[in-house]
Amino acid sequence: MRLLAAAATEKGLGRERNEDVYVLHVAQGLFAVCDGMGGASAGAIASQIAAATIVHELQQAKTAATAGALHEGPHRTQSCRLAEAVRESNRLIYTDGQQNPERCEMGTTVVSAWLQHDIASVAHVGDSRAYLWRDTHFQILTQDHTLLEALAGEGLDASCEELEEDPRDVLVRVVGREPEVDVDVVEAPVRTGDYLVLCTDGLTRVVSDTTMNASISRLREPQRICDYLVQTAARSGGTDDITVVVVQIVDAAGA
Amino acid sequence: MPKLVVKFDERVLAEYPVDSEMTIGRLPDNAVVIDNPAVSGHHARIFLEGDHYVVEDLRSKNGTYVNEQHVVRGALRHRDVLLIGKHKVVFDAVATAEPVPAPRRTPALGRTAYLNTRKHRELLARLRAERARARSQSEPSAKAQAAAFLRVVDGQTDHQEYWIHNPVSFIGSSEEALVRLQGWLKPRTAAAIVQNDAGFTVTDFDGRTLVNNQCLPDGSQQLKDGDMLEAGGLVMRFGLAVTSPAESGTEPESGQGTSPASFTVNSREP
Repeated sequence: MRLLAAAATEKGLGRERNEDVYVLHVAQGLFAVCDGMGGASAGAIASQIAAATIVHELQQAKTAATAGALHEGPHRTQSCRLAEAVRESNRLIYTDGQQNPERCEMGTTVVSAWLQHDIASVAHVGDSRAYLWRDTHFQILTQDHTLLEALAGEGLDASCEELEEDPRDVLVRVVGREPEVDVDVVEAPVRTGDYLVLCTDGLTRVVSDTTMNASISRLREPQRICDYLVQTAARSGGTDDITVVVVQIVDAAGA
Repeated sequence: MPKLVVKFDERVLAEYPVDSEMTIGRLPDNAVVIDNPAVSGHHARIFLEGDHYVVEDLRSKNGTYVNEQHVVRGALRHRDVLLIGKHKVVFDAVATAEPVPAPRRTPALGRTAYLNTRKHRELLARLRAERARARSQSEPSAKAQAAAFLRVVDGQTDHQEYWIHNPVSFIGSSEEALVRLQGWLKPRTAAAIVQNDAGFTVTDFDGRTLVNNQCLPDGSQQLKDGDMLEAGGLVMRFGLAVTSPAESGTEPESGQGTSPASFTVNSREP
């Protein structure tokens, strides 16, 4: 499997520091985007712990994955290990927050993808998203863990009066805020010519899916797509950090 | 220059100088923006007429109130309190210092909040219950016939049987609870029973609610006639009745002969 990947990130307008973090390990096929939260510098700490833990866990798992393949099938092992890496980052951030009161409210979103054997395993928590682009079709792979989605899932009216916050701004699942976290896992078969996009809500709140789709169709080159999307988002005046990772599946064949 | 002080829960959110004419509403083109779903896009207008200010409701969905009186149009006096949705707006006619407008809430990007699992389940349960209540009010005739009861099998409480008439009934130590738990350390709300189109559903609040000795993996579960419900340290048998005793005045028949020996219409019933 041959991949070409790029990332771009920009600090939100008027923010002291960028709390977004990305992982770009092209050789391993491992990518992630984390959007930290929790005041002062805590958000950036949470997103960095998450990114570092995922990388660390899956480096260790590399050899074990090939061994386990005999029993469980390679894709299953791959997805399970990715989800377990996210869960492990949850434990570490939660423990760290419990030991350091000044960052007890830290947490982070995680959207991570591990591409091997023509399969993209995607594990996510929060409102950072993964999309798959194929032949001008642009499909979202993740479902936001926001109150808006939780209400919609119940068929409840999202505009109910008692909500003081915008339900889009309220996350119902975050990495690092509770001892355990449920991780959503999606497996998407990928083909030559596909693109995988991971991004934070700093992008998706201000740039439409249509614009994202068109930018891939037109620009084709991962770095140019990333730069274009981040610039477009920054120009629209959002105050949130913006991060995007674009992976081009140059050749899906081979190990 | 007079000013408007926007408050929520007695907390001052913002202050605005009063122009000769200004509007209050949810949309960003108002002089006073209250970004809350209970507020209409253009909710009310305040303007100078002669030597005094007048408030006029702009056909808002939830109406405009001055000192708790519904108004369509009325003069404003010093310290009048407008109710716009759930926000209070105090009219201060004699303010001298220049008020500082609060930063606009929109766009709210980056102000992400987190609602923990327990709180968000509670919120969803409450909203579900409110929807059930709204539905039962809109179609009262057929639904009123469905009735159910809880019969205490084990544990200390104020009654032995409870009839479930309301769209939502709580088990807990709070005053609103139908099944009122007694004793220290009892949760305010251990569980709720919600009546919906499909029947009765129990929603767990404290993680300790069991139905037939099983916990509720989804946080809530449909109740069947004869189910054993354990919540807040009580063990109760859930039973369905054909008619409600409040309406028929006769002892109801239940599906499996689990009808209470003597039924007690709960005293908190209106």
